[in-house]
Amino acid sequence: MIAVLNTSCHCVWAEAIGGPPWSLLPIANRPLVDYWLEMCSDLKLDLVQVMLGEDAKQVEDYIGDGKRWNLRIEYAFARTGEAPCDYLCSIRTRWSDGLLYFGYPFFIRRRQAFRIEGLNGLRPTCYRIDHDPVFIFARGKDEADALLLGEAGSHSGLESVHAQPWIIKDIHSYYDLNMKMVAGEFTRYTTAGFSSGDRSSVGYNVHTPPSSHLQAPILIADDCRFGPMTTVGPNAVVANHVIVDSNSELIDCLVLSDTYIGRNLDIHGKIVAGNRVISPDDGTVIEIDDSWLVARNRPQMRAEDIVRCTILWFVALAVVLIQLIPFWVIYPLVRISRIARFERLTFHDPRTGYIRLPILCKRRNVRSPLFSAFKALSLDRFPLLVLVVRGRLFLCGQPPMRHPEDDEMIKQLPEYYPGVFCYQDYNKESDRLVDSLWYAHIRSLYEDLKILAKSLLSRFLRGGR
Amino acid sequence: MIDCTKQDGIGVVRVGGAMTAATVDSFREQLADWQEREPEVKNFVVDLESVDFMDSAGLGTLIAALKRISERGGDMKIACLQKKPRMVFEITRAHKVFEIYNSTEDAVRAFA
Repeated sequence: MIAVLNTSCHCVWAEAIGGPPWSLLPIANRPLVDYWLEMCSDLKLDLVQVMLGEDAKQVEDYIGDGKRWNLRIEYAFARTGEAPCDYLCSIRTRWSDGLLYFGYPFFIRRRQAFRIEGLNGLRPTCYRIDHDPVFIFARGKDEADALLLGEAGSHSGLESVHAQPWIIKDIHSYYDLNMKMVAGEFTRYTTAGFSSGDRSSVGYNVHTPPSSHLQAPILIADDCRFGPMTTVGPNAVVANHVIVDSNSELIDCLVLSDTYIGRNLDIHGKIVAGNRVISPDDGTVIEIDDSWLVARNRPQMRAEDIVRCTILWFVALAVVLIQLIPFWVIYPLVRISRIARFERLTFHDPRTGYIRLPILCKRRNVRSPLFSAFKALSLDRFPLLVLVVRGRLFLCGQPPMRHPEDDEMIKQLPEYYPGVFCYQDYNKESDRLVDSLWYAHIRSLYEDLKILAKSLLSRFLRGGR
Repeated sequence: MIDCTKQDGIGVVRVGGAMTAATVDSFREQLADWQEREPEVKNFVVDLESVDFMDSAGLGTLIAALKRISERGGDMKIACLQKKPRMVFEITRAHKVFEIYNSTEDAVRAFA
């Protein structure tokens, strides 16, 4: 028996979500095609042919060689204008031992009584949408021929093995399916490594500070971060690489991968995909171009970052040149008065692991106008600015993390940009971790210049305090 | 950006276009000008029928306006909120701060 997974069909409703192709859209945090491949594996099929369309690369990257499912994968590109039936007929010789076909977003929803062994008793079955087949199961050539020609096959084949055919024909049925899964059905599909005692499932590397309020049933995937006092669940599916800021509530919702959810938001009965908020009831989509609300998490490094760093390198050079003479005049006086001196302390470094940075340490607890002036002019940052010019630090960014004191914090930062100036320079109340995550998300030339200007001004006005 | 009229002693503010960081300054200034010209008007209805998008700056401006009007002993209601701005109101919980009506007439009547 051969399986043909057709990922090339056009699916209008999935376009509203943006991002991944419909075959990779998550259902309870697993791509749809993963369920298809799992069924192929359950049926002990050997060969699976994947038909690729416009989003071929993403699909191919995900499925790869199929070894994860113990399957052999062949790829074929769908021809423009060729109907699925025509394609299947053109490879008739290949399915002499039977055919399993998936096309269009089709999900086999398992009922409570479903058993994998039951698939062995599945009768020839065909489900169609607008005359095109979306699911075919036939054990022999004749059966498959009959189904493709439109001859009567079983239309309740899946029902007889305690499964329900679920054609995801619009955004509402997609949302509805996810909510059904998170409400408890996902336990029928769980694979090793998931715990479902209280109908909740939490992936790896999920950071949940003590005040977060997680209420089952929920599904939370890897690398999620919740700020304090965040309420998640019931009935929330939160996918990979999602950051949820403080005091937000996620209830009856589906949050797709790489999404940032801002502070104090109430995501209730919505699908959030990056910067898109979608109402599953009527399919209304809004793209929010406002990173304080919802946004797509920033990728690791982009061309914009390179431009930003280049411009800021020149800004750093200018600041170094301005500070050069004041530093060489005032610092010797500070050293002679034995009030403070630079000491090399170990910090984390994104490239080399560790770096020893010169940090001004006060030696005597006395008030000194000289020391105040030194700090007010931010001359204590001069050696660090020189390191920026040498390409070892960023001008603005996250606060450099100490080693070993901040080892735990550095593990929670997917992106680490140690900067000479950071939010803490002008906001002493700031939470280092939250601000670091926020910076990684919002970083831009404007943000860096804002941090620089506010830090220099704030330090000057505080007069070194 | 805005068109202010008086209806039964209530200030009706009709807003056009998107309410974003780029447009809120104009909204704020025009509303403040009109409030200065009509100091006896305490209560306001903001008609958002023509507003197709709103961001956090737009919301912040509406909340600031509500605060300012409340300080003067008045109230502000929202009318004709469209689908997309309504979703922003929902996710930011702003719909719990404002009284929202389907039409300007309903909002004006609510002051009676």
